[in-house]
Formats: sequence, structure tokens, C-alpha cells
Amino acid sequence: MNTVIRCQDLSKRYGDLLAVDGVSFEVQQGEIFGMIGPNGAGKSTLMECVEGLRTRDSGTVEVLGMDPAKDAAEIHERVGLQLQTSALPPRIKVGEALQLFSSFYRNPGDWRKTLRDLGLDEKVNSYVDKLSGGQRQRVFIALALVNNPELIFVDEITTALDPQSRHAVWDVIRDIRDNGTTVFLTTHFMEEAERLCDRVAIVDHGRLIALDTVTNLINSLDGETKLTFTVNGRPPIRELQQLPSLIHVERSEGRVVARGKGRTFAQEVMGMLADLQLVAEDFRSEQPNLEDVFLSLTGRPMREGSGQ
Amino acid sequence: MTSAFGNLVAVQTKRTLREPASVFFMLAFGPLFVIIMGAIFGTEARPEFGDRSFVEANLVSFSAIVLAITSFVMIPVDLVGQRDNGALRRFRATPLKPAKYIAADVTVRFAILTVSLVLMLVIGMTAFGAKTEGSIVAVLLALLLGISAFLAVGYALAAALPSSGAAQAVGNTLVYPLIMVSGGAVPLDSLPDNVRSVAQISPLTQLTEFLQDLWQGGTWGDNLVAVSVLGGLLVVATGLAARFFRWE
Repeated sequence: MNTVIRCQDLSKRYGDLLAVDGVSFEVQQGEIFGMIGPNGAGKSTLMECVEGLRTRDSGTVEVLGMDPAKDAAEIHERVGLQLQTSALPPRIKVGEALQLFSSFYRNPGDWRKTLRDLGLDEKVNSYVDKLSGGQRQRVFIALALVNNPELIFVDEITTALDPQSRHAVWDVIRDIRDNGTTVFLTTHFMEEAERLCDRVAIVDHGRLIALDTVTNLINSLDGETKLTFTVNGRPPIRELQQLPSLIHVERSEGRVVARGKGRTFAQEVMGMLADLQLVAEDFRSEQPNLEDVFLSLTGRPMREGSGQ
Repeated sequence: MTSAFGNLVAVQTKRTLREPASVFFMLAFGPLFVIIMGAIFGTEARPEFGDRSFVEANLVSFSAIVLAITSFVMIPVDLVGQRDNGALRRFRATPLKPAKYIAADVTVRFAILTVSLVLMLVIGMTAFGAKTEGSIVAVLLALLLGISAFLAVGYALAAALPSSGAAQAVGNTLVYPLIMVSGGAVPLDSLPDNVRSVAQISPLTQLTEFLQDLWQGGTWGDNLVAVSVLGGLLVVATGLAARFFRWE
């Protein structure tokens, strides 16, 4: 398998802030490689150093065998970029934008086919300004595909989208991968990474703290189970803390959240509730997910304000 | 058209013509101004305009005013707005060379301004019988020099100003006093002496007096100060714009 991105000890500093701190990883041809982490973790900065839109302070980066600090134009010829903050000039139509951007490349593909593949063929004469959020994001994906890229960068694409549009965009990204284009994406939605990515790098405070397949990352947590429920009385936090299989218990938004180890953890918790004659409602059992991987690696939740 | 330059020119032209405010100011403002003024003041010669008609006396001054409003306010606001919202940044993520983008953008703005100002002169001369005592070619060439210099100032302002709000504020603060002392809106003779001498520093005053002198029979050779001021401004502003232009 070919390596399309090779990144070694990449660092980028803004004043006193080390935004990217010695990050190394490789992206293989044909995979969806995801970079996850909280807002401000340095994902976009890191991605933009790889894309050649920012200059790194140290480390080596190779994209398709070229250095983005030296050959940005040649890299842009062969990769597609979907940027987190970007726009099109006002009062431009979808078809005009696609035709315009196609003309910037030596070997553009058929942009009409790209629009058809993305379900935008009926919007060819619509103003980009007038599209819905999901449609506009698909236009930006189309712009990133006009040069038939070998590799496409996708930065926080679903952040502003409703769940339905988000799922549609995921399908689009899977199709891109299935057509042979490597995808390097960033997201702060754990679900997005779980559903979409072949491999995931977790970034926190500019550092890469884990890198593996989603399954391997979750298995590394050693079968932790998370239970959430409400009770018709005082939440039995102190009692639960006596359980040997319990790892952590807290109250969050009126619910009890208990994490524990072992196959009988859920049964033990229910037994204790029965002993205390408490009725548990809305009882849910969750296998661990990437959110929990992040929590166990950093000791804090991914999203600010979610418990603790 | 399949070239990047050709496509950029085509798209920028269409985009500009779709914006009602820019169509008005860049294409229709000048011609309409002449039509309205001609309709109000008629075409007969009046002593207060030096025995010329209102349109004949003021035609070239108005073209300089339209040029100033477009270049010092509208163009910087548009350019900075596109930088603010990330539109220029999207171009940077392609192999497109910045010089090509700027060349196409300047071409479109230059062409639209030229069409508008020439149209203004044509309407004044045909519909309202305004006549020049000098060479119309000399007037047109001076107008082209003015467009080049003022466009460069617009680009330099766009490079220097941090936001489109600032561009709006600075542009308006700059342009209206310049118009007041240009001689095109208020006769310079009616202004105090010290204001008049300060007004000579303004490139808009220089351009207005240059055009007026050519219109009344002067030559480029008679206006070497204005030519040097406008030429110098073109060189300096182009240098500043090239040095400080930013994609984001």
C-alpha cells in the first residue's frame, strides 16, 4: 500500500502557544483517515500545514512525495481541499463556480458528472448564496473534486449541518473513498469518526495521543460499559461507589451515569437498585465509543460542559 | 472560454453586473447623472457656466467624481469583503497564481469603468450637445490614466484596511471631502484661499482640473504637474497594493 501523506515531528507555534507539537503520522492510499479532538486542539492548523496553506515551524511533511512548503502549487494541482472557513464570491452560480475552478487545473475532470454524482445537477443554475447548508457543503466538496484528486482534505465539513444533511455528506465521502480517492478529514464529532473513518488519530493540545482503527481504539478500553438511567428517588451515588466493578459514577443532567468493568457490571447495578427499592427508568447500556477513548486518555470529556 | 484568465474575467463580469448597487455606480450612475442634469438645466449656454451649458461645463468633472466613488469606496469594500468571508482563501487552495487572479479582476473593473465613463461623455456630447474645445482623444487618454491610478489606490486601500466595515468608513471619509475640494461639485473659486491650496494636493482635484483643462482646449504638455501626480500615484499605489495584498 502506498503512503500518500508522511508527517514527521510537525510543529507549529503561534506566539506562546504550541498549536501543533511534534506530530507524526502516515496516511495510506485509499483510506479515510480521520483526525479528531476538541475545538482548538490544533486539527485545522495541522491540516493546513499539510495542505501547504500554512508554513510549519519544524518537522518534515510529504504529500504525494512533495513538500507542501516548497511545492504547494503542484500539490494543489493533484489534491482537493475543502476548507473549514471559506466561501465563494457573492452572486456566483453553482455551474459557473465549477467551470471556473475546473479551469485552474491542468487535467480537470467532468464537473457536470461531479455535480450529478453529488445530486446537485438540478442546482447548476442556482446561486450558491441561495442553497441550504447541506447543499452548499456539497458544492464545496464538488469544488474539491474538480481536478480528479488523488487525495482530498475535508476540514470539519458537517459542523454546521443538521443530522440529515450530515448523513448525506457521510455517504458522499464514502463514495469518494470507494472511487479510489484517499480522504483525510478532521471532525470533532465522535460519531462521524466512528461511522466514517478507517483509522483515527486523536489530537489534544496539539499532540497526537492515539492512532489506530476505531475498533482497536475502543477495544483498548478493556470492555468498559456505560450505564445511564434515572431513578424515582435519591440517586444512589454513594452506594454505587461501593461496587468493586465500578470505575466512575456521576450525575449528569438529572441522570446517573455509571461506568464499570466486567460482564456482570450492569446486573450488579440493577441488583443494587432493586435492593434499595428504587425504580430505574430509561435504563440504557452503552458499549464504549471514541468519546470514552478520549475521556480515558485525557481524563476529560471531548466537549466542554458535558458533565464532570 | 476555457482558460483560467478567461473564466475569471467572465465570472467577475457577470457577478459585478448582478449586483444592483455596483451596476448603478459602475455603469449607470454616470450616464444617468448626465441625463438628469441635462434634463433639468437644459442645453442653452449660461453666463454662470462661462457661456456654456451646464452639461458642457461639468461633464468631465462628473466623470472624475464617479471614478473616485467607485475606486475609493466600492472596490475596496468589495475586495475586503471577499477576503473577510474566505472567498479569496478558496482560490488560494488551487494552483491558480495570485497575479492571474488580480490581473483578471483589474481587467474587469477597468473595462466596466471605462465603458461607464465613455458612455457618460457620449451621452453628454450627443444628447446634450456638449462640445470640447480641445482634443477628445487627449481627454479620453487622461481619463484612462485617472482610472489606472485610482484603481491602484482602491487595491492599495483594500490591502491596507482590516475589514469591509473599515473600508466603508475610510472610503467615505476620504471621498466626500475630496469631492468637495475637487472643483467638480463646488467651484474652487468659492472656497477660501487656504482650502484651495490644500485642495491641490488631492489627486481628485488634480484629475478634475486636468480633464477640465483638456476639455477647454489644453494639452497634456500644459498639465505636467497633474500628469506627474497621477503617474506617481499609479506607481506608488500599485507598489503598495502588490506588496501588501493578502488572500486572508
